[in-house]
Amino acid sequence: MSENSLAIIGKNRLAEELLDLSRAQGFQAALFADSKQDFLKTSLVIETLAGGNEKRELLKELDDRLPPSSVILTSCLGFATTEIASWTRTPERVAGFATFYPVKEKKVIELTGGLRTQGEALERAEGFFHALGKETAKVKDAAGLVFPRVLSLIINQAARTLDEGVASAEEIDIAMRLGTNYPLGPLRWADLIGIDEVLAVLEGLERETGDDRYRPAPVLRKMVQAGWLGEASGRGFYVYK
Amino acid sequence: MDPSVIGVLGAGTMGAGIAQVAAQAGFETLLYDVSQEFVDKGLSRIRDFLKKSRERGKLTEDEEKKIRARLRGSLNLEEMRSAALVIEAVPEKFELKREIFQKLDTVCAADALLATNTSSLSVTAIGGVTRKPERTLGLHFFNPPPLMALVEVIQAAHTSDEVIQKAVEIVQRLGKTPVVVKDTPGFVVNRIARPFYNEALRILGEGQASMETIDRIMKEAGKFPMGPFELMDLIGNDVNFATTESLYLSLFHDPAFRPSPIQHRMVLAGHLGRKTGKGFYSYDPSTGSGS
Repeated sequence: MSENSLAIIGKNRLAEELLDLSRAQGFQAALFADSKQDFLKTSLVIETLAGGNEKRELLKELDDRLPPSSVILTSCLGFATTEIASWTRTPERVAGFATFYPVKEKKVIELTGGLRTQGEALERAEGFFHALGKETAKVKDAAGLVFPRVLSLIINQAARTLDEGVASAEEIDIAMRLGTNYPLGPLRWADLIGIDEVLAVLEGLERETGDDRYRPAPVLRKMVQAGWLGEASGRGFYVYK
Repeated sequence: MDPSVIGVLGAGTMGAGIAQVAAQAGFETLLYDVSQEFVDKGLSRIRDFLKKSRERGKLTEDEEKKIRARLRGSLNLEEMRSAALVIEAVPEKFELKREIFQKLDTVCAADALLATNTSSLSVTAIGGVTRKPERTLGLHFFNPPPLMALVEVIQAAHTSDEVIQKAVEIVQRLGKTPVVVKDTPGFVVNRIARPFYNEALRILGEGQASMETIDRIMKEAGKFPMGPFELMDLIGNDVNFATTESLYLSLFHDPAFRPSPIQHRMVLAGHLGRKTGKGFYSYDPSTGSGS
């Protein structure tokens, strides 16, 4: 088993980008759509599903098939890492990270451990991102950590404002860029990240806290159901060619 | 009525800033307030700004002179009869605004536009005190008006489409970018920006991360120009808290807008931010710079 080998699991922009970034740094990295293939030789597995029931099954399978020394770095956008780790028999090797596409532009990646995560798993996770030239910030365990959580709530409010007919998508984005100096309008930003990823963060927080402040705007759920996931699928709040 | 005349009511930071924008765009501008002292303070604020712009090479001496010549102070609301547009920027008290709009309603030309720069009151309620509410609207400028490109053009329940169209054209002539918004609490910007502050406060309150870590993450993972705690200190915790509270109340306790007890306590303690030398961070009170 090589220290330099890693498997990235998931069919999304984030997984593809992590593959490119890690290969560029000399990692022997491979991308897998699910846990069916043979990637037993890898010392680090990065699992990128934001949310959904299939994540639980995936974690169980990974846990069964990986040697005990492999670290599982899991996307904690839609679940707290403690919960994700609880689906495995080896919670001590499960560390969480939360970021949105594009990773390339991010100077800092947020990491967390669940209550039972051991220091070594977090150190391996840190080492991986440092090798990609990123800084890391450790925060306490919750769905979505800090930046994805705050941005998802901004996007949720923008979606509600749009749905209520207060202003058009273009006008909302112009207003937020010019009125607050945000780097992108929130609806355009949502299209770039993926509406499904944003929805996963909101649903995770709503489920974990039971607080109505996280209730997703109905339009977000409908867009995901319709397959309007944003730029990657050709349509989100805007239409892409 | 003269289409080249704009009246601005209230010579505070926002009113003076809006008057400067109007005068710079070529409008004859009347800046009204209730006392000569307030009017003079507003006018001198504008003159200082213009002088600095000239010193930085952004204005010629001739331009500065012409802009100053287009600005006039006023202590008499009757003078607003010549204005094609009046923008009210007095303190956020409904009774005060009611009185002013009822007066404007009788004084101003029948086709003059009457706008409020309110950020927390209902434009529909303010316009509703006049006999011709279809010509009332909101024009929400951002602070400081001479530097911020956006103006939210607020269509209240009574506002006619024609008035909105006219207002959009005037805002463009002012060199600003208009965005047409329906009259709803917080309009677009103050509403959608709320979670940037409130959720950061929530994360801090839950002990998930320190304010320094949250600010760092929002800037370096999120590419926001400032972190939420730095920005709350710049805006002032009193102002920021009041905006959140007003939205929460006018949206009938929508939990997405619930104010933060942490920020409330800071307001009660007088830890308002840069202007008091202490907010989330500490500042040198003489320079306002962080330590």
